Amino acid sequence: MQIKKRTNIKFNVPQQLIPLGILFILVITALIVARYLLVPPTFGELGHYRSQAIEDNLAHPMSYAGYYSCNECHDDMMELKNQSNHRGVACEVCHGPAAKHIEDPSEYLPDAPRDRGFCPLCHGYDPARPSGFPQIIPALHNPGHACIFCHDPHNPLLPHAPEECSACHRDIANQKAVSHHATLDCTECHVVAAEHLTDPRSALAQKPVERALCGKCHADDADASKGIPRVEMASHGQRYLCWDCHYPHSPEAY
Amino acid sequence: MNSILFSFGVMAAEAHGITGYIYPNEFELHWGLLVVLYPYLTGLVAGAFILASLERVFNVKVIMPVYRLSLLTALAFMLVAPLPLLAHLGHPERSFEMFLTPHSQSAMAMFGFVYAWYLMVVLLLEVWFDYRKDIVIKSREKRGIKKYFYKILTLGSTSLSEKALQFDNKAGRLITIIGIPSAFLLHGYVGFIFGSVKANPWWSSVLMPIVFLFSAIVSGIALVLLIYIVTSLVRWKQLNMACVNKLAEFLLYAMLVDFSLELLDFIQRLYESEESIAILSEMVSNRLFISLIITQIILGSLVPMFSIIMARFGRLPDELRRILYFLAAILVQVGIFSTRWNVVVGGQLFSKSLRGLTVYKLEIFGLEGVFMTIFLLLLPFVILYILTKVLPPWSDSDKSMSAPQG
Ligand code: HEC
Ligand code: HEC
Ligand code: HEC
Ligand code: HEC
Ligand code: HEC
Ligand code: HEC
Ligand code: HEC
Ligand code: HEC
Repeated sequence: MQIKKRTNIKFNVPQQLIPLGILFILVITALIVARYLLVPPTFGELGHYRSQAIEDNLAHPMSYAGYYSCNECHDDMMELKNQSNHRGVACEVCHGPAAKHIEDPSEYLPDAPRDRGFCPLCHGYDPARPSGFPQIIPALHNPGHACIFCHDPHNPLLPHAPEECSACHRDIANQKAVSHHATLDCTECHVVAAEHLTDPRSALAQKPVERALCGKCHADDADASKGIPRVEMASHGQRYLCWDCHYPHSPEAY
Repeated sequence: MNSILFSFGVMAAEAHGITGYIYPNEFELHWGLLVVLYPYLTGLVAGAFILASLERVFNVKVIMPVYRLSLLTALAFMLVAPLPLLAHLGHPERSFEMFLTPHSQSAMAMFGFVYAWYLMVVLLLEVWFDYRKDIVIKSREKRGIKKYFYKILTLGSTSLSEKALQFDNKAGRLITIIGIPSAFLLHGYVGFIFGSVKANPWWSSVLMPIVFLFSAIVSGIALVLLIYIVTSLVRWKQLNMACVNKLAEFLLYAMLVDFSLELLDFIQRLYESEESIAILSEMVSNRLFISLIITQIILGSLVPMFSIIMARFGRLPDELRRILYFLAAILVQVGIFSTRWNVVVGGQLFSKSLRGLTVYKLEIFGLEGVFMTIFLLLLPFVILYILTKVLPPWSDSDKSMSAPQG
């Protein structure tokens, strides 16, 4: 109504622009007011986010004490574990958050995972785990006993070296078992030092490097069983390695 | 056992329609039907607006009868355009936050501003200036609530003096001139979003914004043509054949440009033959065969172009022409929808490993399903119906509704 009164006065500005101008100013003011009211105060201080969020997270109670804090009182155990195959596994992975234990060791004692269900979380067979990682099938591996009955969790030495490569390479062994190469031993193609079975990384098994290896059985003139398919070594597959085309653990001829 | 498991995996994958190798997170598509709908709707907005501006800025007098209709069409579809995104993202109540804390480096976050600019500065203003005279007249003639409704719409600017009307006209023209680059921005922006995804060989292309723009123009013109034909039928009015012919002509030109741009893009990809070409050709010849080769190229482009050429330049009776135009315009809509489909869904069907294809399974019910899409497709027509009741766009019926002086 106010606007209407004004229209009677002579304006240089066209009449339409006045209400529109007011409308736009209103919208923009609304935006500014909304920004003022709704944008959290610490937004944008450090980046496109609310920097108070950092403080909020810092304020959460700490549950984990951290790897090195156990050393203060359990240095013997730390030393033992650090020279073992579990050197990469932190104490609190198995014992759970222990910040409270550090504050008052006598009042709060962390749990120790003693039952069989726990260790297979990492050691149960799963083909997605890297080849070489020691894995067992819990239902088959000494059922009925707790794992810690035979393995010290802080120094998981094996009672004796594994007899089968499948202890750590079950993925490959399983694949080979249903392939054309099922009858072949791993050592037919790989030279494996005995230490590889106990300390695999310090004595890596060798991988074949020459195609002559496959020629032992597949060359035209090879001294091997008649049933084995033969190829002409000089021309077949040209200058490529045989395993550029055939996966040696599950070979296929398409 | 491993390979038994593996072959189980393969069998399971085949049951799902997956071929080759895909990463686990590519199994399910995340941008579904609603994200197809969104560029389709914004395309219609931009196209309808550009059509309107032809009359306004370039003085194409013949298409006068559809000038206001296309403005209202653009407005109606504009109001619906963001809804698919809101439904797709969930939490629509948070969407306003992108206005409060603008993120200038994120193209997606800037959408709110592109949209707000286009809706408030371009479309609403243009409609207001264009209709102001009619609104003022109505606010004087109508009685009761309606009178007050129109009074509010005048925003208090009730002068009908020669000078005021002249200013309306000038302002409308100015806004249209600003509006054309804005319409280009609006839809070019949508193409830009897709075109700038570097990791996706199906999307990543500088031509993307331009192709989007021209397909937008095509779809917009075809839509206005459709609405014009249908509304004339419903209102028992004579179609302005000169106008329809002109519309069809524009549609044809836009389609020619659009089609050649897409062809150019296609040839360029073939010639470049990047490492993705193998999987992309497999996708085109398998997964997208129907939606790309059949509906987009043949039914959506070649057939309508051919029938428009026949209808426009052949010696046919007007009756037949109208039918041909009508069918062509419908096919164009189907074609452009498949174009959006092929871009959005196609870009997610192949694995980033470039070694496998997944499938898209349509949801029927639910927030992102077919029914929601149908609802969102019909909603703009409901809005348009209401708009035409409030602001009649027809130049041939109501005497009191006068056309702007252009
Ligand atoms: C301030 C010294 C101190 C620190 C630091 C400390 N502990 Fe202890 N911890 C103790 C004492 C004391 C006992 C009790 C010994 C006992 O009862 O024989 C204990 C016992 C334990 C036990 C045995 C609980 C049981 O059921 O018998 C575990 C497990 C344990 N600590 C784990 C940890 C872990 C993990 C950390 C590092 C996060 C840690 N402790 C750090 C002092 C400490
Ligand atoms: C692989 C899992 C695992 C890790 C890693 C581990 N523990 Fe244990 N810990 C156990 C289990 C299981 C027991 C229970 C042993 C038992 O009852 O014989 C145990 C027992 C203990 C005990 C009780 C004393 C004992 O010998 O029975 C202490 C103390 C302890 N752990 C401290 C530590 C500290 C300190 C670390 C880090 C240096 C650590 N543990 C790392 C699994 C683990
Ligand atoms: C967080 C995962 C994790 C858990 C839990 C875990 N381990 Fe281990 N374990 C490992 C890693 C890592 C290695 C070292 C493998 C390597 O050298 O590549 C290992 C090695 C071993 C080995 C040595 C095998 C060899 O060849 O020397 C044994 C035995 C073993 N763990 C037993 C256990 C037992 C028993 C438990 C339960 C108390 C357990 N582990 C819990 C990760 C785990
Ligand atoms: C009765 C004693 C006994 C029990 C109980 C036992 N193991 Fe073993 N474990 C062995 C022996 C012996 C070997 C080494 C020779 C072999 O491979 O059988 C071994 C080997 C392993 C290996 C190395 C991979 C392999 O197959 O050789 C892992 C990992 C392992 N055990 C984990 C576990 C876990 C986890 C549990 C509990 C679920 C467990 N063990 C229970 C005796 C035992
Ligand atoms: C105690 C566990 C264990 C046993 C048992 C074992 N390996 Fe390994 N193997 C490993 C680990 C760990 C690696 C290293 C994997 C890695 O670094 O990626 C490895 C690596 C290898 C490699 C690859 C070497 C390379 O250069 O990449 C071959 C080949 C191999 N093993 C063969 C065998 C054969 C054959 C046997 C049986 C005679 C065997 N391994 C038994 C743990 C084992
Ligand atoms: C027919 C010969 C042959 C047999 C039998 C064979 N391998 Fe291999 N293996 C190879 C060749 C060749 C390579 C090298 C592949 C490469 O470099 O790509 C290899 C590579 C490997 C590797 C390295 C990782 C990988 O997959 O490339 C491991 C581990 C391995 N073999 C373990 C085994 C084990 C365990 C067995 C027995 C279950 C076995 N191999 C049996 C020929 C063989
Ligand atoms: C110790 C002998 C021996 C060696 C070494 C050997 N193979 Fe074989 N190979 C066989 C036997 C046995 C068969 C199975 C024949 C049958 O199916 O009856 C076979 C089958 C094959 C087949 C045919 C599979 C099919 O689909 O019919 C291929 C391919 C093959 N091996 C590749 C290789 C490659 C590559 C190497 C070198 C990494 C290799 N072999 C090393 C014994 C050998
Ligand atoms: C360039 C890829 C390539 C290379 C390298 C290659 N092969 Fe083959 N191999 C094939 C193909 C493809 C087939 C199946 C078609 C054929 O029979 O030629 C095949 C078939 C075979 C067969 C089965 C023949 C039959 O009659 O069933 C054997 C055995 C074989 N290859 C062994 C080898 C050996 C041993 C080497 C290394 C000296 C090797 N291949 C290298 C690609 C290759």
